[in-house]
Amino acid sequence: MFTRRHLIGTATAIALAGLGSGAMAQDEELFIPVISKGFQHQFWQAVNQGAEQAAEEFGVRVTFEGPDNESQVDKQMDMLAAALANNPDAIGFAALDSQAAIPLLRQAQEAGVPVVAFDSGVDSDIPVATAATDNKAAAAMAADKMAELIGGSGQVAVVAHDQTSRTGVDRRDGFVDRMEAEYPDVEIVAVEYGGGDHLRSTEITRALLAAHPDLDGIFGTNEGSAIGVVNGVRESGQEGITIVGYDSGKAQTDAIREGLMAGAITQNPVGIGYETVRAAVAAARGEEVEGDIDTGFYWYDQSNIDDQEIQAVLYD
Amino acid sequence: MTAVDTTTAPRPSRRGTAHQKLLAFASLIALVIGFSLASPNFFQVSNIMAILQATSVNGVLAIGATLIIITGGIDLSIGTLMTFCAVMTGVVLTWLGAPLIFGVVAAIGTGALSGLVSGTFVAKMKIPPFIATLGMMLILKGLSLVVTGTRPIYFNDTPGFDLISRGSLIGWVLPGFPVPNGVLILFLVAGFAAWILSRTVLGRYTFALGSNEEAVRLSGVNADAWKMAIYALSGAIVGIGGLLIASRLNSAQPALGLGYELEAIAAVVIGGTSLAGGRGTILGTLIGALIMAVLTNGLRVLSVAPEWQTVVTGGIIIVAVYADQLRRGKT
Amino acid sequence: MRHSSLGGGAMTRLVRMEGIDKVFPGVKALDAVDFDLLAGEVHALMGENGAGKSTLMKCLSGVYQPDGGRILIDGKPVSLPTPRSAQDQGIGIIHQELALMRDLTVAQNIWIGREPRKSFGRLDEAKLNADAAAIFDGMNVKMDPRTPVSSLTIARQQMVEIAKALSYRSRVLIMDEPTAALNDTEIAELFAIIRRLRSEGVGIIYISHKMDEIRQISDRVTVMRDGTYVDTVAAADTPIERIIAMMVGREIQHSDIAIPDLSGAETALEVIDVSRGAELKNISFDLKQGEILGFAGLMGAGRTELARAIFGAEPIDRGEIRVHGKPVRIASPSDAVRKGIGYLSEDRKQFGLALGLDVRANIGLPSMGRHSDRMGRINEGKLSEVARSYIDMLRIRTPHDAQEVRLLSGGNQQKVVIAKWLLRDCDILIFDEPTRGIDVGAKAEIYRLLADLAKRGKAIIVISSELPEVLRVSHRIAVMCEGRLTGILPGGARQEEIVALATKREGKTAA
Repeated sequence: MFTRRHLIGTATAIALAGLGSGAMAQDEELFIPVISKGFQHQFWQAVNQGAEQAAEEFGVRVTFEGPDNESQVDKQMDMLAAALANNPDAIGFAALDSQAAIPLLRQAQEAGVPVVAFDSGVDSDIPVATAATDNKAAAAMAADKMAELIGGSGQVAVVAHDQTSRTGVDRRDGFVDRMEAEYPDVEIVAVEYGGGDHLRSTEITRALLAAHPDLDGIFGTNEGSAIGVVNGVRESGQEGITIVGYDSGKAQTDAIREGLMAGAITQNPVGIGYETVRAAVAAARGEEVEGDIDTGFYWYDQSNIDDQEIQAVLYD
Repeated sequence: MTAVDTTTAPRPSRRGTAHQKLLAFASLIALVIGFSLASPNFFQVSNIMAILQATSVNGVLAIGATLIIITGGIDLSIGTLMTFCAVMTGVVLTWLGAPLIFGVVAAIGTGALSGLVSGTFVAKMKIPPFIATLGMMLILKGLSLVVTGTRPIYFNDTPGFDLISRGSLIGWVLPGFPVPNGVLILFLVAGFAAWILSRTVLGRYTFALGSNEEAVRLSGVNADAWKMAIYALSGAIVGIGGLLIASRLNSAQPALGLGYELEAIAAVVIGGTSLAGGRGTILGTLIGALIMAVLTNGLRVLSVAPEWQTVVTGGIIIVAVYADQLRRGKT
Repeated sequence: MRHSSLGGGAMTRLVRMEGIDKVFPGVKALDAVDFDLLAGEVHALMGENGAGKSTLMKCLSGVYQPDGGRILIDGKPVSLPTPRSAQDQGIGIIHQELALMRDLTVAQNIWIGREPRKSFGRLDEAKLNADAAAIFDGMNVKMDPRTPVSSLTIARQQMVEIAKALSYRSRVLIMDEPTAALNDTEIAELFAIIRRLRSEGVGIIYISHKMDEIRQISDRVTVMRDGTYVDTVAAADTPIERIIAMMVGREIQHSDIAIPDLSGAETALEVIDVSRGAELKNISFDLKQGEILGFAGLMGAGRTELARAIFGAEPIDRGEIRVHGKPVRIASPSDAVRKGIGYLSEDRKQFGLALGLDVRANIGLPSMGRHSDRMGRINEGKLSEVARSYIDMLRIRTPHDAQEVRLLSGGNQQKVVIAKWLLRDCDILIFDEPTRGIDVGAKAEIYRLLADLAKRGKAIIVISSELPEVLRVSHRIAVMCEGRLTGILPGGARQEEIVALATKREGKTAA
């Protein structure tokens, strides 16, 4: 396991070195590498899209990359280190583990490279700005909606995507805390972790349904988890389970349109990407930057999924 | 289970393997009984179906891995190959809009071709299997992302595609036994692989190569060509795994697959197949895959903390393989 | 055909090998060797270990390609690029190291590569087993073709090899020491099979060291020595002594070894009545400080097994071992090392050296404890100093002590192994084939080194399959045959005496 990851890391580093040397060739425009938490999920692709929009608008060069999954803190560190080595003008960074990143961020600070945090905050005063969804508030909204949908009492479970990352913890806690505080008749019977993997989340859901025959609702904390929950419920053929999701993606929007999923929280990923690059450009040019950029979140369900405001923040 | 008992033909060392199957099978039964006693929710038709369904993808991958491991090799690329086969199915069905059967052919063909490439690396270029398939693992992972542009491909426009895994042919014939097709396919693949291993020339050389490759060569057999054929067959079986996961998720998710190879190898090893090559059974692998699925499902049903689920699963793998070592030491 | 006792032109010549050369890196294994085989004869091929018998046969069976000369089958020149092509010419070989697939059954082994098939690549298992059973019936051997080979004894596995060779309908059957692992009953069975095959016109090439077998079974004998052809004689009317003389070379090797007076020396090692299974039978001998005891014998005589038993690498069933007069229990090699016994394996590369490590690390390997501190950190300076002193003492030719061992020559690798055990304070040293794979010049140096070590009071056992070597270094010579110690001769004994003891089978004389 270690060897495998190690090798992948090395391969990535080589690839990055290649990208980097290409980057050195042109120098007039600002160079802003964006290190995300992932790049394969649709959510991150949407962030990327927003970043590219901003890049075009401000005439800067942006690169976008992230590790395979949200537990690969070490690989993200490698990426950040490689980005710093390429003399960037500013960096966009979504920390998987903000503590682990501090030495490198300090290095950026010393080199005079402004850092813009996005997606989740960094526990440090180094970033000049943070463009993020308030995950806790968003998950709390999911709890409100869930409680409302199941009539204020019953059993619910959480299929979370990660046990250690900021977003995983915040969404779980936001949901669980709000339930416990506001809805005493709703019992949270289980919290399981599927790593955001569709198939694993499916298996978890099936086990949850077996273990808790009286389950009323399940909350999936990101795209992969939510789709896994939909899948598991669909396979089991069980009726009357209220599913609340997070983020979008075609499978999730389809499930909402079909009525399998009650609704979901969507962030504004395009906005996150756009705001990150906009703030980075401003900081690189020495302009004033707003510290906390709330990029917002929305609840969407069958009733409003086709509204313009919602469609603008959904992605396929 | 009985269906497979009859399809798995007697292997050379009958008594030894019968004993071994018994041991693995006994552990499986013990786990099932243990979980059933611990929770009334475990032994329910719907949960048993969930366990079988959870076995289907890993089981098919493990069968592919078994063939390679019996030759004394190892295949680390099965997880990402599964994904790549799913992606190619998506390309053929959704992007090209071809009829369903071409998607099936695409998955199996892609798998066989990729297996042939791995086999060439190993047999002709003499690259150690661990390295050759490690390279393939990364290549295929990358290709999946390149081909899809990192976006999943959905199968909404191919009616009936999701039935490959989710439908139930058996339930249609025998209402009351809603065994999902994915499980049926797993058992068919197992029967086919067991037949290949016990009844065909290809199977014979699979064991012979793992037993003493030099002796095979000295006997005038074209060892390299046969080895490539085995890798190709294993790849084709992994392709079926790709089809199953695509059907189950109704999409080809290009980011999945990494780590699946280790679960498959774990199932093979629990099933008593020796990593040194030369011996192994499909029935053992099937039981190994079931043990893995029962274990993960059971621990969740018992609401064991997720952190501890991982610890227990790791422990069980060690115990299972150690028990097998002990048994072998005695005979 | 010089001395053939066989009748005139009635017999067809199946094989003729003319002027066969084979060169391996650094060694000329075969030098213009001639050989021929008639239909319906058993032709014994004899010579000491390393004479080139197996190499010649591997050329005939398509395993090796000769570098010179030609091979004629039925009078027509052929090329045999692969084992398969030799099989197609009707040449079957039973390799000395059994080439079987342990996890397959007897029948599956016999028909590997030629499985009877039905449609779709399906195997015809019934026919497979029936055909194999028929071969065993023909051999008059009881064998269930469905038994896995891994459950058979070595002797039974040998039977499978023979059946496999027969299954090719071979007209030429090469048997490389087929009786090495067989008991008398099994040998009798084998000879019955050989005689029957001979009567059917099969030509059999029979490689063996056992003189009495040669007399019993063969028609002609060809002798090889040092990769060259010596002579071909009729078995019936050539005395054994003459064949032995041909094998070892006519020029009697005069041993100029100075045998020291050891009457006052302390006994370092006593082996009393040591036995294990069929491999070691009631072995007793003693070894004094400053003495070199040579062990002669044929392959499989039990010399290496004895060495490994003394060294604790294999358990013993019975008997006692005393070191410096005290009975000791040696259950593992680490016990042996603690008692001051060092074993230099015949296969240096597999057991004796870490080839990828440097000279210094190899020399220090068993004594790392003394060259490291409490934290396990190695004191490289001290180790290097010690290593350099041994490099000087043994004259190991290496540019520096950090050279990787794999880059050294065979002789210098051997010296590294010796240095390793000397550093560990071993005063009983067992050398198993100390000059295998070492060129002639370096051999002389190893011999000098052995004498030197003895002078310094080390007790030394040298196991060697090369008689001249045993004669050259030993103060006394112990000879083994089939797990028994058949005699201990004084240094400078005649080669013929040694060979006679080495072929002295139980309850018989050497012909």
